[in-house]
Amino acid sequence: MSLSQETLQAHLNDPAVLCCRRPAGTILSADDFEDPSIFPDLIDSNLMSLSDGGLTIGQALGATLIDDGEALTQLTADLLDGVNDDAAPVSPAAAESSEAADVPETSGTYQGGYLHLHVDHAENLDLTLPVGNMPTADGQSASVQHEEPERILRQLVKKEYPVTDVKLGDTTSYKNGVLVIDERLTKEAVKVNPLVKEVTMKIIKPADRHVYSNTIMDVIPIAAKAEGKLGEGVTNVLSGAVFVLTGMDEAGVQVHEFGSCEGFMDEKIRYGRPGSPDDNDIMIRVDVKIEKGTGMERRGPFAAHSACDVIVHACREAIKDLSAVPSIGEETFTDVRRPGKPRVVLVKEIMGQGAMHDNLLVPNEPCGVKGGQKNVDLGNVPVVLSPNEVLDGGIHALACIGPATKEITRHFFREPLVEALQADNELDLTGVVFIGSPQVNDEKTFVSQRLGALIEAMEVDGAIVTTEGFGNNHIDFSENIAAIGSRGVPVVGVTFAAYQGQLVVGNKYMDAMIELNKDPEGFENEILADNTTTPKDAERAILMLKNKMAGVPIKPPERKWDASVIEANNQLIP
Amino acid sequence: MTRKFTLTTVPGLQSEVYVPITPEPVWTPLTKPLSECKVAFITSGGIHKKDQKPFDTAGDWSYREIPSDTPSDQLMVTHGGFDNSDINKDVNAMLPIDRLHELVDEGFIGGLVPTFYGFMGGGGNVDKFEHVTGPEIARKLKDEGADIVLATGGCGTCHRSCTLVLRACEAAGMSTCIIAALPPIARQQGAPRITAPHVPIGSNAGEPNNPAMQMGILKDTLNAMGEFDHFGQMKALPYEYRHNV
Repeated sequence: MSLSQETLQAHLNDPAVLCCRRPAGTILSADDFEDPSIFPDLIDSNLMSLSDGGLTIGQALGATLIDDGEALTQLTADLLDGVNDDAAPVSPAAAESSEAADVPETSGTYQGGYLHLHVDHAENLDLTLPVGNMPTADGQSASVQHEEPERILRQLVKKEYPVTDVKLGDTTSYKNGVLVIDERLTKEAVKVNPLVKEVTMKIIKPADRHVYSNTIMDVIPIAAKAEGKLGEGVTNVLSGAVFVLTGMDEAGVQVHEFGSCEGFMDEKIRYGRPGSPDDNDIMIRVDVKIEKGTGMERRGPFAAHSACDVIVHACREAIKDLSAVPSIGEETFTDVRRPGKPRVVLVKEIMGQGAMHDNLLVPNEPCGVKGGQKNVDLGNVPVVLSPNEVLDGGIHALACIGPATKEITRHFFREPLVEALQADNELDLTGVVFIGSPQVNDEKTFVSQRLGALIEAMEVDGAIVTTEGFGNNHIDFSENIAAIGSRGVPVVGVTFAAYQGQLVVGNKYMDAMIELNKDPEGFENEILADNTTTPKDAERAILMLKNKMAGVPIKPPERKWDASVIEANNQLIP
Repeated sequence: MTRKFTLTTVPGLQSEVYVPITPEPVWTPLTKPLSECKVAFITSGGIHKKDQKPFDTAGDWSYREIPSDTPSDQLMVTHGGFDNSDINKDVNAMLPIDRLHELVDEGFIGGLVPTFYGFMGGGGNVDKFEHVTGPEIARKLKDEGADIVLATGGCGTCHRSCTLVLRACEAAGMSTCIIAALPPIARQQGAPRITAPHVPIGSNAGEPNNPAMQMGILKDTLNAMGEFDHFGQMKALPYEYRHNV
């Protein structure tokens, strides 16, 4: 009795294998079959093998065993009387992937839901219903589409101003493409917090990147609100220069947790990732030395970020009013409701275990520190930001988890999934939910359950869940996906797993997953931002979500990380 | 409201990350030093006393009570799922009963429960092991004061049956660990703690007549129990034994 009835139904097309020794004359039922979900382990362990010509469980069910059969014997037609011939025979290949027939070729249609109207007593009842999308008597949707116009909620314009050179001087200014930073700001920065012992600043030009550096804690764009509040109005952004925060403590211990990226800056950064400096960016490196032993306490890294922000903020002040200066480019981001389009939500899991595993939500200025609320202090519960708030620097990342997988401040400023979902005319992006990964297991369950309730209230049709890092946060990741999937909402998961970060827990809702690994060996390779979400990853995730929402099957994964699967998926992007 | 969506889809996408489907976590933290712990050992590798009824090798969810002071030469195996020769040479390869007494003698652990349990987990009836055999063994071990329950799996489906019983023990308030020859199965079935020496099924607790290896596996496993701090962790152990049957 190795299969329950439910399991049996799920595996009718999988190979039929005896779970235990059975005597001749046994009429085969659910009691007699081995569970196909553990076949790969059994095969790996040389306990059984599968060959061509075997019967499926559906074919063997109800048939009679001619001779005694040993445990883990694959059933073939010659071993049984009364085989059910209606189902097709199975080959080992077919057992690994269950592709459904009748798959829509290039476009899918999603239908669902009912209108139920019950009136016991009514007076002057005046009902207006949208008939355009009502089902007709034959169950097909009417062909008339009721097109409600888009509703624009808010617009954000990022105006781009070029930086051709950065210099240290005795005042902070931005003129004719040259950013001058007051050298004495490093002294001001030390005063911000008693844990800060020393702050130094160095300008690193693209041609001179072979410079040794302490581990990189963050990459911070230089952006300031010119009009409006975060997420709307105008933000002035300097292109061609970014701040890079590095740090260690007085005892010489790098401020990091799982892996660090101290070393030569030309080798330890994957330039061009959304979170990283770009190929031609001038790096303004702010190195902060904090009190001995505070690198793994919340207060230490926060002090370092606060010190750095003193200098970044002076630059913001210098670019707040550039009304007299022509910008070299403008990007417009629009928070928009698209009625009639599937409502989707992006859930971003952020670190919330304390120490350096913290983030500042919605600071006063883009990518700033002041005014930001710490997700750890908020109990790591889900907090909704509008897509524009995210892209306007609504997250200042304090996380110092593995360098290759961490999402740093610049990443959020140009988050590929937020940008792509917001711009996708086929979808109605409702918002971006940030949920922390708490330190205590009970709290993990608590915040996941709050996420589930939030998702239910949002009435979304689809969701993408991302996480940075790997390890204990994969517990949250699986619970968050289950909280969504168990409510009948199609969900896609996005994470680094590959070889080093392979999942240790999981559930049946995690059947559509995107791998972020870029390392040839599948490791957290300690190269900044290497294994974070790129625009290509975002495209795959969105396509996978659309498939899942439309009912187009997604093939089960290989049992081990295989980079060719990712490449094949990339080839399918229209 | 019925809605119709038009979405760009492409058949043929494949999920990119393998997901082990694990059951709900179950966890009892180990709060005492090993030297104060009462230890139990169970095995799904078909071990029983020579004077007890052998297991039905076609599938059997019954179990045998093995007094923990039973001389090892009074034990035997009945299991059709793997080569029995190693256990026939030295039953400690599956149920390291002699080593456990040595651990008590040297004060490494506080003591042993009066009764160990043997069952034959091959092709095991999941429902019975989860809802009958597991809770029964767990209740009896708890009544005898077990703090720690160690286990060996035996064959592939034995690892599953064994894990089901260990989960019942963990749920009953004991800290458990499986010494797994097939750790992927133990992990997928939701074992709370796993140690994994490189050994073949049939000598899950170490090479027969190699007390040093058997002792090392047990001590490393017990020490690892203090290191594991949440459900589902695994530690590979540096012992290797190859047996080509």
